Amino acid sequence: MFIHLERLPMIRYRVVLTLSLIFSAAVAAQTPAPAGDVAKGEEKTRMCEGCHGIEGWRTAYPEVYHVPKLGGQHAAYIVQALHEYKNGDRSHPSMRAIAASLTDQDIANLAAYYSQGGPKTQTAKK
Amino acid sequence: MMTSLRASLLVVATLAVPALAGAADIVAGQAKVKEVCQACHGIDGNSPSPDYPKLGGQYPDYIQKALRDYKSGARKNPIMAGFAGTLTQKDIENVAAYYASQPAVLAPRY
Repeated sequence: MFIHLERLPMIRYRVVLTLSLIFSAAVAAQTPAPAGDVAKGEEKTRMCEGCHGIEGWRTAYPEVYHVPKLGGQHAAYIVQALHEYKNGDRSHPSMRAIAASLTDQDIANLAAYYSQGGPKTQTAKK
Repeated sequence: MMTSLRASLLVVATLAVPALAGAADIVAGQAKVKEVCQACHGIDGNSPSPDYPKLGGQYPDYIQKALRDYKSGARKNPIMAGFAGTLTQKDIENVAAYYASQPAVLAPRY
C-alpha cells in the first residue's frame, strides 16, 4: 500500500486518538464510583441503620443469619457490594430493593461513611 | 399417646444431631484459611487490599452464608466461586468460625 508522506502526521494523529479512546474507555470501565462524602452518607443511613446499626441483628428472610458488620469495612468493597445488589449479582430481597433506590453518588457516600471505622462512641468490638 | 411421644423424641433427636455435628473446629479453620483465604483476606481477616472485605470478627453465620452463596453461584463472583467451590460444608463452618474468632476490625455502625 502506498502512503502519501504528507498524510503521515494525520495517520499518526488518528492512531494516537484511537489508542487514547480505547485507553480512556478502559480506565472509565475500571473507575470506581465518585468520591464519597461522609456527611451525606450518614444522612442516607436511615434506611440502613434498622439492620446494620443494631449489634447482633439478624435478617429473617430468606434465611436467618446475622446482617454483616459494616463499620470499618473497605469503602471499595461496600461500593462493590451495593452495585452487586443493584444489578442482581447478589440476591437478598431487601438489599436489592434498597440498593436499587441508590444513585452511584449515594453508594459512594454510604461507603465513605461506613468505612470510617467503628461506631461514633466506640472502637470496633466484637 | 406413646407413639406420639416416641415420634416427638425422634424429631428432637433428629434435630439435635446436626446441631452437635455442626460444632466448628477453629484450628482446622485456621489451617484452611492459610491454604485458601490468607493471600487476599489476611491471616487475621484484616485484609490489606481495599478490594477484599475485612472478615476479622465478622458474624460467622454471615461468612457461612456468603461462602455457600459463592459455592452455589447464588452470589456471582468468579474469584470467590473458585475458592468457595473447593470448600466442603465443614470447611465453610470452620473457616467462618476461625475468622469470627479473630480480633474485630468491624463494628455495627449507627
